[in-house]
Parts: sequence; C-alpha cells; structure tokens
Amino acid sequence: MRSDLTAGFFDELARRGREPLLRKVTGSARFDVVAGERTERWLVTIDKGDIRVSRGNAAAGSVLRADKASFDRVVAGELNLMAAVLRGEVAVEGDPRLVVRLQRLFPRPQGGRTRRQAGSAGRVE
Amino acid sequence: MSDGLVRILDGNTFVVCDERGDIEASPTDPTGLFSFDTRFLSRWVLTVNGERLNPLSVDDLQYFETRFFLVPGTGTVYVDAKLSVIRQRAVGNGFHEELTFLNHLDEPVDLSVRVDAGCDFADLFEVKDALAKKGKHSARVEDGKLVLAYDRGTFGRSTAISASAPARIDKHGLTFKIRIGPHGQWSTRLSVVTERLGVGLAREAMGDPKRAQLRMRRDLERWIDEAPGLECDWDPLKATYRRSLVDLAALRFSPPIAGGHSLPAAGLPWFMTMFGRDSILTSLQALPVTPELAATTLRALGDWQGVGLDDFRDEDPGRILHEMRYGELTAFEERPHSPYYGSADATPLYVVLLDEYERWTGDRALVRELEVEARAALNWIDEYADLQGTGYIWYKRRNEQTGLENQCWKDSWDSISFRDGQLPGFPRATCELQGYAYDAKLRGARLARLVWKDTALADRLEKEAADLKRRFNRDFWVEDEQYFALALDPDGNQVDALASNNGHLLWSGIVEKSKAKAVARHLLGPRLFSGWGVRTLAEGQGRYNPIGYHVGTVWPFDNSFIAWGLRRYGFKEDAAVIAAGILDAAEFFDGRLPEAFGGYQRALTMYPVQYPTACSPQAWSTGAPLLLLRTMLGLEPHGEHLVVDPALPIAIGHLELLDIPGRWGRIDAFGRGRVETKRR
Repeated sequence: MRSDLTAGFFDELARRGREPLLRKVTGSARFDVVAGERTERWLVTIDKGDIRVSRGNAAAGSVLRADKASFDRVVAGELNLMAAVLRGEVAVEGDPRLVVRLQRLFPRPQGGRTRRQAGSAGRVE
Repeated sequence: MSDGLVRILDGNTFVVCDERGDIEASPTDPTGLFSFDTRFLSRWVLTVNGERLNPLSVDDLQYFETRFFLVPGTGTVYVDAKLSVIRQRAVGNGFHEELTFLNHLDEPVDLSVRVDAGCDFADLFEVKDALAKKGKHSARVEDGKLVLAYDRGTFGRSTAISASAPARIDKHGLTFKIRIGPHGQWSTRLSVVTERLGVGLAREAMGDPKRAQLRMRRDLERWIDEAPGLECDWDPLKATYRRSLVDLAALRFSPPIAGGHSLPAAGLPWFMTMFGRDSILTSLQALPVTPELAATTLRALGDWQGVGLDDFRDEDPGRILHEMRYGELTAFEERPHSPYYGSADATPLYVVLLDEYERWTGDRALVRELEVEARAALNWIDEYADLQGTGYIWYKRRNEQTGLENQCWKDSWDSISFRDGQLPGFPRATCELQGYAYDAKLRGARLARLVWKDTALADRLEKEAADLKRRFNRDFWVEDEQYFALALDPDGNQVDALASNNGHLLWSGIVEKSKAKAVARHLLGPRLFSGWGVRTLAEGQGRYNPIGYHVGTVWPFDNSFIAWGLRRYGFKEDAAVIAAGILDAAEFFDGRLPEAFGGYQRALTMYPVQYPTACSPQAWSTGAPLLLLRTMLGLEPHGEHLVVDPALPIAIGHLELLDIPGRWGRIDAFGRGRVETKRR
C-alpha cells in the first residue's frame, strides 16, 4: 500500500499557491475521491492562476468523480486524465473547458525524452 | 453523389446511408450514424410488407437535412406507384426521421411497416482498420424505446430509438401495423438519440436533436448572410463559392471546450474532429470570409497546447496538437489521440495564423490573450523540434507503435523520397517546415514589437530568421536542377525529389529573390503542372504515380497556398493560371473540390479524375476557392487598409467580392479578367 498520493498532491498544490499554466483560468473544480463507502472532497478554487485548496462539499463549476485508485494514478502521471474521462473512469460534470485546463496540473508519464538543448523565447511570468 | 452514398452532418455527428436512406454497414465501411468517433447505428432498414423500397429522388435540403422519395417495388423500369413514402431526416445529436406514407388508391390499405435497427458501436479507427471489439453488446426494450448498448468497463455508449406512433418494439427494430384510408396518409416521427455513460453511471443523452436543428437552420442563414457576396460573369465560380460557404458551415465543429464557438474539422467521413494543421490552414484560407474561425481555432488549440513530455502522445511543451479523438480506442489508450501531438508544422503555423489574423482584424486583445501560447510555440521550434541540433525542424516519432511516421502534411509512408524513389531514414527535415519556421519567427517578431512590447525578443527572432534563411538557401538548394530539395536526411544529405513543397516555400518567404524565378518555372513547368494544378510529386521522379496519395495527385489546398506564394514573389500571372486550373476542376465536381484528384495531364483525360478514397467535403479543399479568390484579387491588409490588386484569368470576366470584413470595417473589391490562362 503506497502513501496517499492524492492527498499529497492537493497538499502540494495548496502550498504552491500559484500555477502560471492556469493564469487565464478563473473557476472552481471539486474532486470527489471515492474510497469504498467514503468520499473525500477537495475544492480547488482558481483566480487567474492563484490557487486555493479546501475540503468539503461546496458547489463548483466542474466536478470530477472517480475511485481513489484512479486519482492516485492520475496524480502520479500513470493515467492520462482525458483518456480516463473518455472511458468514464473519471466522471465529469460541469464546464469541460476547465477540465481541459486542469489536466495541465498533472504530471506526464515518467521516462519522457528530456529537452534537447537550451534556448528560450522568454516567459511572461 | 458519385458513390451512391448520402451524407448529412452536424459537427462531428453525421449519417452516411444509401439513396433509400437505409444503412447496412459492414464492419469496414463508413456507413451509419456516427458521433464523437463512435458508430451509433450500423443497421437501419425500412421495409413495407417485407419489401425494400426504391428511391425516386433524394433532396439535400440542408447539409444537416435530407428528404428521400421512395416507392415499393423491385426496381424495374415500371414502377406501380400505389403508395409513396417520404423519409425526411435531420441530424443533430443523433437524428430525427419523419416517415410519411401516402395511399394513392380509392380504397384503404393495410400495411406492415418495419424499421430494422442494430449497432456495432465501432470506433472510427476500427472501421478504418477492421479491428475486433473487446466489450459487450446488448439490446433491450424499455419505456417504449429500443435501447442498443455497448459496455466495456466504465465505457458505455447506447442508442435509444423511439417512435411517436404506436409500435411493436422488439430487440431488432420497430413494427407498425397500420391502415391508411383512400387517398389518405399516415406518418410517424422516429427519434434516434445517442447516449453515453455519465456521472453516477446514469445514461445521459448527448443533447436534444430537435433544438439542435432549429439552431442550425438559423445559424446557416446567418452564416451565408454575413459572408461577403460574390458577383461574377462566370457562373461556375458563383456556384463554387456558395458550395464552399455551405460546406464550410457543415464542417464547423464545436469541440466540447470551445464554449459553443466552432472551428473547422478536417473532413467527412474520417476526420470530423479537431486537427491542428487542418484547422489552422483552413482558418487561414477563410480569413477574408470569416475571421471568427481563426479566433476559435487559436483559442481551442491554445487550450490544448502541450505542457510536458509524453512519448506515447509525442507531446512536448509548447507543441500544438495534431489530432483529437473521442472513441473507444482512444479512451482505452490503444491509440494516442487524447490528444496526439505528432505534427511538426502545426506549431509554427499557429504563430503564422495568429499574426495573419491580427493583420486582417486588428484584434490585438487576442494576441495579448495568447502571448504565452505563442511564445511557447516559438520556443518549441528551437528547443524541442531541432532534433539534430542543426538549426532546422526535424521530426521522428517517439511512439513507434501508433504514432505518425511522417509528421508533415504529406503524412503517408512513401511521401518523402529521393529522386530515385529511395526513402530516407529518420529524423527528417522536410523543406516546407523550415519555411513555416522562418515565417513564424518573422511574424512572431512583428507581434513582439507591436503588441507584447518585447523588442529584445523581436530582434532575436529576426536575427534567427535571417540566419535560417541564409542556411536554408545553401543547404536545401539543388544546384543542378535549380529547386529546393524535399527534405534533408539524418546525415544532412538532400532528399532531392522535385515536389510541390517548393510552392509553400514561396508562401513562407524563405526563398531568396534570385532563386524565386527558377522555383516558379518548375511549379508551372510540365513535370509539376498538370494543366489543372501542381502535382504533389513531379512526373519522372522515382515514386511518381498520378493516383498516388502524396506522390503525384493534385491537392486543391496545396495549390491554393502555392498560388498565394507565387503572388508573394510577384508572379501574378502564374498564380492566376493555377487558380484558373483548380476552379475549372471545381466545376467538374459541382463546386465541391475533393481532397485530391489524379495528376494525369489535363490534355489526356479532359476531366479531373477523383482520387479513389478522398474525403469529401474536406475542409482545406473547401477553403481553397476562398484563398484563390484572395490571391486573384490580390487582397492584402496594409495598415488599416485592404489593398486590392487583381490579376484574374480572362474567363472569369468581371468579379466583385462585396463586404469583405476586417479592421477596415467592410470593403468591396473589384477586378476584371485580363490574364490569358489557356496557354498551357
């Protein structure tokens, strides 16, 4: 049994407080993580990239619902969120555009090619 | 329709059936009702007293609506029409079908009307590649509906079929026992609703078909009204223009993330989805007619821009997607299209479109909104696409199983070859990619200076562009034949076939002035120019085949960009010759240019031979006449004005394009045909 990856992910997200990849996003998403009889809920509120994370059953622009095992794999970069949504493993209610943007938060699979060389067109933030 | 199939569509929902309105799909053919890349009906057959019907006529009322006139009988010359059947079908989140039976006798008739229904729930990829299903099919009757279903774990799709008139419903269809009085009529409305498994495992409809139809009817009228009007002495051009507008409306697709806005999908039947390259190029072609398509394309592709390295999807940070799919194989990651990023041109072209859009519309707010996306795209060119560290865009797939080998627009396996027909290894650097990169850098520099107020970036991009141009003209130039090589192989050798890509180089501006004339001579010369248009690969090259997909056929979209390129370097007459050839060809296809047609010499066949499995309508073929109009009229934004500098083929006579939208408000353009194009 591995440690609680999903809880760890949201803790880390709360600590980070800001995600430049979501700088154009304002909205809220609730993650309903089902573990047997229990459902744990995280509410992620985004205001132009500033992120707040809280617990509880508040209303949200998008709701993503899945088993804990599935979420653990999403936050570990083992499960692609969009593929999981397409096959119903992660159920989505509400604004689909927000979900597209949220998938930027999750890591890509391990073992991807590393960047070839430096050189940058600059960053806004 | 040449293939006897009738197609109606709305976004990525479409029906392909025979001329009776029936569907009898085999596992490998693309007939049926499709939505989100899944087949929701593979059998839909109407019989009366056990007999099939015969078509008298088919009316395409709208792109989303068709009416079939049918009579019972065996299809002999003499049709005993005691009974007529009208079948009117409109698509939109499934479809609705109004069945009407007319009794022409003085006495009542008793009929048994039967609609057989069934579904294989094939993924479009399975239809294309003939793969077997892994989940379970079922059929049941509940609440007065026939529900056909397919389940594989949490993946569920179903089709619910119902009728407004009383019916006996079984697992294979609906039966109506009816009596129609003398000269009377009977009708029923059949509803076919597509459903998927949603939240809490409840089945949910994917929308309300009836409301969708109302919306579409109003929307099409508005679409045609808002597009510029075209007046012309040559009637076929008027017909082609109207056909293009209607088909472009049909090919618009609202991905679930676009907030009701739409962008061009690639083509029917295989490609009713978001494609980076196709959506960008079609938006470029359509700018003079409908700039909104470009705005939606830029936003939607920006939302999906790559952020990490994922080898299965060939994703890199900053990379613009190649293709998005929604079907079962994508859902279970047997295919990488969620989305797949294996395209080497969509990313530089993204910057090109953003700049060209601003030049037409003056919409700097969008350029500001997409600043980070555009910078990331520019960054991708240098940081992730230069696989050999030589200052060029190279491609080589990391997904060796299901990724794309050729990540340029000529994406078939044998499209990139040496003169003698040999295939180079990977990675490959095709020439047009370098042209796009050059153009993206210069346009990026313009936006950086004008909107992002970043002079340092602008200076750097301009310097890089100048350097790229210098190296490119040295490394790709085939000295003995005076044209640009198709590509470089992994060792930096020229892949020296003569191909249409030279025309894209003119469009991008990377060609040194001193070399342009030789390139133009090749494009209009006998090896590349067929009389209708420029062949993808020149006659005489090892792999040339007049009906080879990317090795000899003529692509209308390709030609529209080639004509634009010729214009850019001042070859107005040559551009007009190509425009005349392609528009002449359009007349043979009733104004609907196919994806590609044969590269046979025009004088030999006298008519353009359609490529056997070409998509039609196809977005960038639909866009080709629009870009050719722009090219022939010489429309070019200059500051706040639109410059008009016509060079039209004589056959067109007088041409007016009225109310062209842009940063100038609305403006009219006029021209008269003066270019003799029959000389070749």
